[in-house]
Amino acid sequence: MNNNVKKSKLSQLLQRFDQLGIVLVLIVLMVAVGFKNSVFFSRDNIINVLRSTSYVFIIGIAITYVLITGGLDLSVGSVMAMAGIISAMTAQTGASLLISILIGLLFGFVVGLINGILVVKLNIPALIVTLGMMYIVDGLVLIVTKGSPVYPLPESFKALGQGSVLGIPNIVLIALALALIGAFVLRNTRYGRCVYSIGGNRETARLAGINVNLTQMSVYVLASVSASLAGILMAGRLNSAQPSAGNGYELTVVAAVIIGGTSMFGGSGSIFGTLLGALLMTVIENALLLMKISAYWQSLIVGIIIIFAVGLDQYRRKKYGIG
Amino acid sequence: MELGNEMNTQNNTEYLLELDHITRRFIAVTALKDVCLKLRHGEVLAVCGENGAGKSTLMKILSGSDSFGNYEGTIRVNGQPMRFRSTKDAENAGIEMIYQEISLHLDLTVAENLFMGALPMTKWRTIDWRRMNREAKDYLQMVGLQVDPRQKVKTLSTSQQQLLSIARAIAKKPKILVLDEPTSALTQTETENLLRVIRDLKAKQVSCLYISHKMDEIFQIADRVTVLRDGEHIADYPTSEVTPEKLVEDMVGRKIEVLYPKQQAVIGEEILRVENMCVPHPYMKDRNIVDDVSFSLRRGEILGIAGLVGAGRSELLNAIFKAQEEGVSGKVWLEGKRIDKLSLRGIKEAGIGYLTEDRKRNGFIAGATIRENTVLASLDKIVHGGLINHRAEKQYANDYFQKLSVKAPDIETPMIHLSGGNQQKVVLAKWMMTDLKVMFFDEPTRGIDVGAKTEIYRLISDMANQGIGIIMVSSEMPELIAMCDRFLVLSNGKFRAELTGENVSQEKIMKAATLVEEN
Repeated sequence: MNNNVKKSKLSQLLQRFDQLGIVLVLIVLMVAVGFKNSVFFSRDNIINVLRSTSYVFIIGIAITYVLITGGLDLSVGSVMAMAGIISAMTAQTGASLLISILIGLLFGFVVGLINGILVVKLNIPALIVTLGMMYIVDGLVLIVTKGSPVYPLPESFKALGQGSVLGIPNIVLIALALALIGAFVLRNTRYGRCVYSIGGNRETARLAGINVNLTQMSVYVLASVSASLAGILMAGRLNSAQPSAGNGYELTVVAAVIIGGTSMFGGSGSIFGTLLGALLMTVIENALLLMKISAYWQSLIVGIIIIFAVGLDQYRRKKYGIG
Repeated sequence: MELGNEMNTQNNTEYLLELDHITRRFIAVTALKDVCLKLRHGEVLAVCGENGAGKSTLMKILSGSDSFGNYEGTIRVNGQPMRFRSTKDAENAGIEMIYQEISLHLDLTVAENLFMGALPMTKWRTIDWRRMNREAKDYLQMVGLQVDPRQKVKTLSTSQQQLLSIARAIAKKPKILVLDEPTSALTQTETENLLRVIRDLKAKQVSCLYISHKMDEIFQIADRVTVLRDGEHIADYPTSEVTPEKLVEDMVGRKIEVLYPKQQAVIGEEILRVENMCVPHPYMKDRNIVDDVSFSLRRGEILGIAGLVGAGRSELLNAIFKAQEEGVSGKVWLEGKRIDKLSLRGIKEAGIGYLTEDRKRNGFIAGATIRENTVLASLDKIVHGGLINHRAEKQYANDYFQKLSVKAPDIETPMIHLSGGNQQKVVLAKWMMTDLKVMFFDEPTRGIDVGAKTEIYRLISDMANQGIGIIMVSSEMPELIAMCDRFLVLSNGKFRAELTGENVSQEKIMKAATLVEEN
């Protein structure tokens, strides 16, 4: 009987706290690494980890929206690179920082709109649309740059990417602001409610008078614009727009979002979870580096963690009949 | 297990299947409390109870699909204690399930579905198509299903698919057949056919657990009946020694005075008018599934649309509500204003609500809470300047939760944990919260138990009393006749008859519904 009570308490915790598994993994990992190498908890390293997390996280916020609607976007890595390049080239012509950024973001907007229209109006699966778009934008990157980076960049551009306020890098502050907005919108606005409803049951949402097409299109625009922003900031940080800037980001971001408990099937997910997911991805990378474990191990470990996290999600769904 | 051995044990035990003191706890609720159930050889045992009585949980345990298997108590088949960890285990023990929801492979053929998992093989270990299609014919004939074994399942109608799932279960030659509301998608003739099949099986010593709300079926087919309520075993009767009234009383735990609590509302002026509505047939070219239908509806009136499955009833409602738009033509007026050019959203905002036929598919969001589902169609009422007013949202949700007496711990309960009747109440709450002028009900009580049915009828009647015009589609003639003021009968998409008041009978409606015009 006593055993039963204990079990149900653990069950309750499992049921209530979506990201329990990942938080545990994160804590164990950090303690272990910190123990082995005190550099891990140094100010510089923490800032470093946060900065790397921010690129993934900025895109991850929008991808959380996409996944909650039951969609997917694999084109964000390419868009990230291309937006950085477009902004950098605009800046090199002597255009102001604001104009350069806006043009980069506009590119993202257009790509997102095309993705959205193809998914919603032509009813092509998001996986296929955005996979195709990934190759198309990749192609554009290579055609435009012929494979070489765009540099140097004007001072103002660099300042944006490299600057900091009170010792905290701009990008971290921007990511934080976006996270707060993203979480607020998801929880407290009509738009957020529509995003959840569509992923929960598209037909039910449609018959309740929710504009499912517009909402679905909008999340792809959000994803591409966020990817563009991350790409522009990264170009500023590196003082050059690299054709390979977004390589692999599409999967890293999706992994972070899924690890954070957002369901691939739509209808549930949170920005906080995505933050944890993005953090975990970076911490693993950082930890392996500090523990002097070969980088070759990284993919393997990330893979195990993804399966563990998603497996836990599935187990919860089954056990508590969620979704 | 060898056959001889099996025969031996069969003779030794009185009961083929025994469920002994089964208890199943979930975190918040105990779904089954100490339930006992016994099934003799070649017996048909009806299990009845309201939704939420624990029937589904019982079936899950019995079929091995309750994947965590944390139940207490024993299941015995032929006197042998068994514990099913997977559906395969249950099948091996000779238990075959036919679920309320059809689970067929739509892109495979009829024959492939029939023999799924046990395809007839040639000696070369390849599929013996010829034998498969030949044997399929026998099973199809057994259930009275006239289709080609090579036909894809998706071309079959819902009722044909239901019959196919029954044939599939029989093809596995089970010792125990469990049927969960098997007739909810069947027409009268098909139902009778099914009951005949069960009688045949019974003659072959196959036992059946027959789960149903439908009293007439229970009394036609079952030898005994077991009543469950709130997860507890309430009573066992031989069918010959009990009345339907007594069963209903046991199921709901109180006397139901009136099954159809219809109060005659004051019927006012015309509120909805439909002219020349046409909807193209989804599969057949150059044919309309709704063909030139015109009618009008008055305030406070309940208009019944009768007809067989596939007569175009749901399609008519879909077209008016703009749930389907492609190829639809026709004029619609709401309170004298044309609305057929509006979008679905515009139509909803103009004051039409639509409780659809298949609530799971498009009536509610299973993973969301009661609260989220209640406000889904009225976000405008809780959103100001784009922001959700959480307090107002809770207030609305709680109001309807209480008003409709939804049985659940609270409004934060996910819909998936509710019984069918309670889910339907929440779907209804969703529409009641919008400013309704006209409400469409498509099979409002499908898969809902008697108690919840009466509550739904009362709500429908209340709505009519408030001056809302109501259109009700139902395959259950008694409810249609009891609830509606006027009837339109559709057959093959065409408007066949309009019947009113006293002179309406099931026979008259059926006659009009089955009338097929020579083309």
